[in-house]
Amino acid sequence: MRRANVVSGALLGLFGLAMLFFVIPWQIEAGPADMMSPRLVPTIMMVVVTALAVLLVVTNLRPRSEEAGDEAPPISPAELAALVKVGAIFALCLVLYAWVSPLAAGLALVAGTLLALGERRPLVIVLMPSALLLALWLLFYKVLGTAIV
Amino acid sequence: MHYLLVGFEDVLLDPATLFWVAFGVTLGYILGALPGLGKATGVAVSIPLTFYLGPAAALGMLIGIAKGSAAGSAVSAILLNTPGEPSSAPTALDGYPLARQGKAQKALKMGLFASVIGDFASTVILIGLAAPLAQYALLIGPVELCAILLFSLTFIGGLSGRSLIKGLIAGALGVFFATIGLETETFIPRMTFGLLELDDGIALVPMAIGMLAVAEMIVQAGNLRTLDGEMEKLTDGGAREDHFVTAAEWRRCLPVIARGTFIGSIVGILPGLGASVGSFLSYGATQKASKTPEKFGTGMIEGVAAAESADNAVVPSSLIPLFALGIPGSVIAAILIAAFILHGLTPGPLMFQQQPRLVADVYAAMLCASAILLVIGYSGQRLFARIIKVPLRLIIPGVLLLCCVGAYMETNSVFSIYVMLFFTLVGFFSRKLDFSFVTFLIGFVIGPNLELTFRQSIQLLDHDAANLIHHPIALLFIGLTVATVAWLALGSYRAARKPRRPRPRGKETIEV
Repeated sequence: MRRANVVSGALLGLFGLAMLFFVIPWQIEAGPADMMSPRLVPTIMMVVVTALAVLLVVTNLRPRSEEAGDEAPPISPAELAALVKVGAIFALCLVLYAWVSPLAAGLALVAGTLLALGERRPLVIVLMPSALLLALWLLFYKVLGTAIV
Repeated sequence: MHYLLVGFEDVLLDPATLFWVAFGVTLGYILGALPGLGKATGVAVSIPLTFYLGPAAALGMLIGIAKGSAAGSAVSAILLNTPGEPSSAPTALDGYPLARQGKAQKALKMGLFASVIGDFASTVILIGLAAPLAQYALLIGPVELCAILLFSLTFIGGLSGRSLIKGLIAGALGVFFATIGLETETFIPRMTFGLLELDDGIALVPMAIGMLAVAEMIVQAGNLRTLDGEMEKLTDGGAREDHFVTAAEWRRCLPVIARGTFIGSIVGILPGLGASVGSFLSYGATQKASKTPEKFGTGMIEGVAAAESADNAVVPSSLIPLFALGIPGSVIAAILIAAFILHGLTPGPLMFQQQPRLVADVYAAMLCASAILLVIGYSGQRLFARIIKVPLRLIIPGVLLLCCVGAYMETNSVFSIYVMLFFTLVGFFSRKLDFSFVTFLIGFVIGPNLELTFRQSIQLLDHDAANLIHHPIALLFIGLTVATVAWLALGSYRAARKPRRPRPRGKETIEV
């Protein structure tokens, strides 16, 4: 975790500096002279984040003796793989939503996730998305009396 | 009292309200029983379902989910040694050995009874304390409120993770993201990048769904094999006494439940401590008070009673700061704010004056939820034990679909899905890198109020900090904030110098 703290602290520090010197001045007007500036609170928060990020880096620079050479990464390869897979499925669903229909996006989301998580039974892959979407239709359109899309 | 009777009339005589409360409790129980799905996920995903319900039914259902989930998390802790929520980790210490001895039914029953008693008593405490506290809160001005909000955020930031620095960063980032959108006094857009969808700021529901539910599903998807392997080790005893709680066990456990309820209620009232702290404290206190402390961890029924009573007592009492001061002390309270406002009830001291009947309806729904919890938990015990055998790979796709529907329905725009996905990434990395997403969410929720009271304070103090001398309550809370930071920093420094012990088994996230 120590190395992760240094990296995340450095990234947060850079994020804070970018916000303070570029994004906040570019994206928030200074405001009327006789009123509190709209930039004040975002600026204070970014100063706090940047200062604490520097502190996080500094306090984690030196390894403690019992930690030396015994550092497991905080994110496992399996978790990273799951993040990439689910991210790809969501990207596909957004394309389907825009170009085909919301129904196709919903079907792809469930079926795609089932496949990505290792489900290989064809009946489950076909029936589960259909059943879930049917249940949603019943719940919203029939029980609650409203449309989703 | 009069309003409470009217509240019971509203809830009990309206079958629809009662149905939705029961639905919420059942759903919550199932979500709690399934490892990886907790009350925060359940409540966040279900808020859009309540758009079309009456206020009492909607709020009753959401609180029912939170209550059901807190109780249901004992099922997987006892049967799988994998707590449905982190706060049930101490339940597993004795519950799982009991299950391995063939006494799973006994442990599940005691877990349920302790949960219901803790939950009911804590709800009564909420009803008794919130309104009187709110009367005092009405005397508090913007300067005092600003100091209290700052103190709460610092306190939560310091206690809800393993690192004070990271907790404070998370809180500050939460407040920062809350400033996105049109500024309330000058109507100047802030960090909207020209997107009209951001003029009203970032919506809480898609953000909460992304951070809590989708991010958690991805983490669970990365740990599928560990969870699916635990079911092989279960046995069921044949003796009748292995299936029921005996009179002797009741006599031993009742004082334990009373102590657990007391500890859980106190922990719930204090912002930031959370159910995990409550259940571990109660378990530790029970072990310390026992004549045979060495037997804890080998299958002591008192261990289950201690952990579950405190765990469930935290949920209702954590609403006390929300109802009395409008300050969310837990992640559930932070998410519930969106639902309360949506249904015409702004949490805070004024709600007792402006909407007494609706508040009474919510109280009555909460008490009914406790009774429903007992009925559903007892009658469905075997069914819930079967539900947890459903592999997570079949559950995650359904949850992701519900997350998308929930986020989309908030604004009827695909932009909400983008917001959800952005905060999924934030939630995933904050979980794995131990930045408290709870503090982030609470910072986001109290951010607008913090900024407003800060602006008002500057005006009231005439731009001179020395004028704080006329606001002793604000000074007290500023002093408490400084003391909290110093105390926690000192604690972290001392902990860093000590050699580390191996971590106990359980989920990594600490939920408030």
